[in-house]
Amino acid sequence: MKISAMQLNINGKTVNIEAEDNMPLLWVLRDILHMTGTKYGCGIAQCGACSVIVDGTVMRSCSLPVGAIEKSMQIETIESLDANGQLSAVQEAWIEHQVPQCGYCQSGMIMAATQLLKDNATPSDEDIDRAMINICRCGTYNRVRAAIHTAAKNINQINLTEASK
Amino acid sequence: MENNKEKRKLGKWSRRAFIGAGGLVGVGLVVGVGGYVYIGKAIKKYSGRDMGDGHSLNAWIRISPDNKITLAVARAEMGQGVTTSVAQLIAEELEVNWEDITVMHPQPESPYSNTFLSTNRRSNPFVGYDMMDKILAFLPLIATGGSTTIIDAWDSMRYAGATAREMLISAASAQWGIDRSKCKAENGYVINMDTNEKLSYGALSESAAQYKSDKLPKLKSRSEFKVVGKPIRRNDIPAKVNGTAKFGLDIKTKGMLYAAVKHANKTGYAITSINNETKILKMPGVKKVVLTQYGKALVIADNSWRAMNASKALSVTEENDGSDPITSAYLEQELNRIVNEEPIATKLDIGDVGDTISNLSDEEKLIEATYTAPYLAHACLEPMNATVIIKDGKVESWIGHQASSVAHTILAESTGIDKENITINITFLGGGFGRRSEPDFVRLAGAAAKAMPGVMIQTIFSREEDTRNDMYRPGAVCKLKGIIDKDGNAKSLSANLAIQSVEQNALKRIMPAMAPSPKAAKITLEGIDNQPYSIPNHRASFGDLQVPIQVGFWRSVSHSQNGFFNESFIDEMAHTANKDPLLFRLSMVQGKPRYTNVLNKLAQISNWRTKSDPNVFRGIAMLFSYSSIVAEVAEIRKVGDKEFKIENYYCVIDCGNIVNPDTIKAQMESGIIFGLTAALYGEITWKDGSIVQSNFHDYPMLKLKTTPKIHVEIMDVDELPGGVGEPATPPAAPALTNAIYMATGERIRSLPLSKLGYSFV
Repeated sequence: MKISAMQLNINGKTVNIEAEDNMPLLWVLRDILHMTGTKYGCGIAQCGACSVIVDGTVMRSCSLPVGAIEKSMQIETIESLDANGQLSAVQEAWIEHQVPQCGYCQSGMIMAATQLLKDNATPSDEDIDRAMINICRCGTYNRVRAAIHTAAKNINQINLTEASK
Repeated sequence: MENNKEKRKLGKWSRRAFIGAGGLVGVGLVVGVGGYVYIGKAIKKYSGRDMGDGHSLNAWIRISPDNKITLAVARAEMGQGVTTSVAQLIAEELEVNWEDITVMHPQPESPYSNTFLSTNRRSNPFVGYDMMDKILAFLPLIATGGSTTIIDAWDSMRYAGATAREMLISAASAQWGIDRSKCKAENGYVINMDTNEKLSYGALSESAAQYKSDKLPKLKSRSEFKVVGKPIRRNDIPAKVNGTAKFGLDIKTKGMLYAAVKHANKTGYAITSINNETKILKMPGVKKVVLTQYGKALVIADNSWRAMNASKALSVTEENDGSDPITSAYLEQELNRIVNEEPIATKLDIGDVGDTISNLSDEEKLIEATYTAPYLAHACLEPMNATVIIKDGKVESWIGHQASSVAHTILAESTGIDKENITINITFLGGGFGRRSEPDFVRLAGAAAKAMPGVMIQTIFSREEDTRNDMYRPGAVCKLKGIIDKDGNAKSLSANLAIQSVEQNALKRIMPAMAPSPKAAKITLEGIDNQPYSIPNHRASFGDLQVPIQVGFWRSVSHSQNGFFNESFIDEMAHTANKDPLLFRLSMVQGKPRYTNVLNKLAQISNWRTKSDPNVFRGIAMLFSYSSIVAEVAEIRKVGDKEFKIENYYCVIDCGNIVNPDTIKAQMESGIIFGLTAALYGEITWKDGSIVQSNFHDYPMLKLKTTPKIHVEIMDVDELPGGVGEPATPPAAPALTNAIYMATGERIRSLPLSKLGYSFV
């Protein structure tokens, strides 16, 4: 496989890398860029520990060849959420509900929840069932669900406050 | 008598001379290190390494001049919240602001030994060691497992905090020239009660380190607790919500390399040669191919993906001792043969079971059943890995391991470098569940580093290698016989189990000196021989299967399958007796108030006595494990033929004194889901010597959608704490299958349920 020079847009920054076209984005992030928040769990798009957001869609970075990503595409990883030094509403809710146990799946969970709430400001339990298909071996699922409801409430509260200004 | 003995010990150690800060536990810690006197010259050393500025008051506590408190917690953080709960115990007595505490993981040094795990005794370095502990001073076991952390830490870590506090008070009273009784400790300061002057711990720590107290401090009573018993937020969680938490795989440095492990394809085989090394070496980024002396191959490359791809392309020759390749059919046949033969050991024998069976009366009912359980993998979400560099005769390592002392020993063996020159950095563990107490991945990481000295190498298992090279929860067959007397009471119960010995098999790898023969193993019948019910004639025995499958400690170990066997069969007996399953259990725990209270509380929170919706069914199970009692009710809704929605789990735990109620609740939730995953889906099988399953598509996990609501009640009992990491797992499966019996009339005697045609929405 040919090695190409590529430009990626990760968390709002342009990054230059060299890799095989079929190298999964996960390993570009982890082993080339040393951005380790995104995790390897299965390598076959089953567990979701490697979830990132690409142009508003949650994707399994372990199964996404880097060559298929155009430089205009916006890649968001867990490292983007508190880039301004402040935790996101989802992260705050995760702390409030003390969601993580071992924590290994949680970057992926949080990215999936972040996009869910962008797509659907008031997700029902059924919406959460459909969107949150990541594996958590420690079984933090009920707290994940509760934290998503809390984050939704808080985000909507902030939006209401801003709208009334 | 006891007091006199105590005094004698104290007298001895109080004469011990002060020995310089930082080097020996004897420092300051002279207080209460009664045991060390008996050990003679074997005073336990600690280095205080990586604990930051300031002065150590003992092996666990360092205070910096600016009043920052650094606590050494030598237990692995694998999700159970142990860096918080152990810190709570120290902080309670130390009298410091919770916000000023930082927790670190120290080097594997003997003061940090888990005495309860190795001796099964609640002994305590601050009170005095018994004979077994003295032996263990030379063979420290610094490990996290068996749900022992809080049991081991409950007294010792509160004394660690209390003695340090007393030393700080001594230093302050000397500085002020006032009596100690005029001083009190509060929020990181010692206060002069006459003048209200304050001295910070940071200002006092240097002089405090030279003090020793001549009596054991009195610990607070429960009513005085400010930190213990409170749902303090976990100190590891902030790093786990923004991707900064460092797991083993997250150790990165420029120029590092990655070694992907390739095991033999067949279980019990070793790789004896690599047939396409030249081809592999031409693959992109590949630096080296190594056939280790352990019969496993490594491909070292410049990134994980290239290394794993190249290792998958290896062509190898593998051999075994000539025995037939393992198949699941063979295992089933052997377990069924053994269960019908004379057992090798009988661990419980009350009354005369044989007599009750041979003299069965017409009014009595004899029931018999054979249960089976499959082999199971741990499936930690972070695959096994370890990162090691050998440079200038020294080894530095980063490992998510449950037993730093085991990792230390293994790295010394596989690198050939003395322990004194090996540093073990314990990272966060992406799941442990017993799997990360094993030495295999550490040994291979040592071999990888040795193959390329001077280079940091991260040794990794792909998910497929991880699934197929686990140390499995053993499969088992259990034959049970029970007699219900004319009044509907359990008169007799016997269980005979056929299984591989986890204790022998795992300890041979982890601590060979401690490995018992299968016959002498203590834990094989756990969940049967320590079950709570009083039955006048009661026997439990087992037979031993020897096959070259590595079996290991899997969350709740023997209780995991034995709880399913015993609690399902107790349910069978209840139905045979025409009794309510909860009341039947209650009738057998009379005179045991902790069990009675747990069952009554469970009946209350699950509305057990209220008739539910006609499509909703409930099942109950209760076990004693790891010094805790956990009882659960599964509530399921029938939505189709053999199709259910698991709606609720009600869970009551009595684990004695509570350290952190929210982490206990979290462990109940986690343990139930771990048990449910196994009950619904879990099975490792062999075909022609190889394991069939490889990844989450064929070894599935419970997901959010299928997860029931979980309602946890923690009993408030002033007893010594029990464990919480494992005890919620064993009742999960029998509670569910007992509910399924209520719904369908089908008694589930084997798992997983998916294999029996059941599905769950």
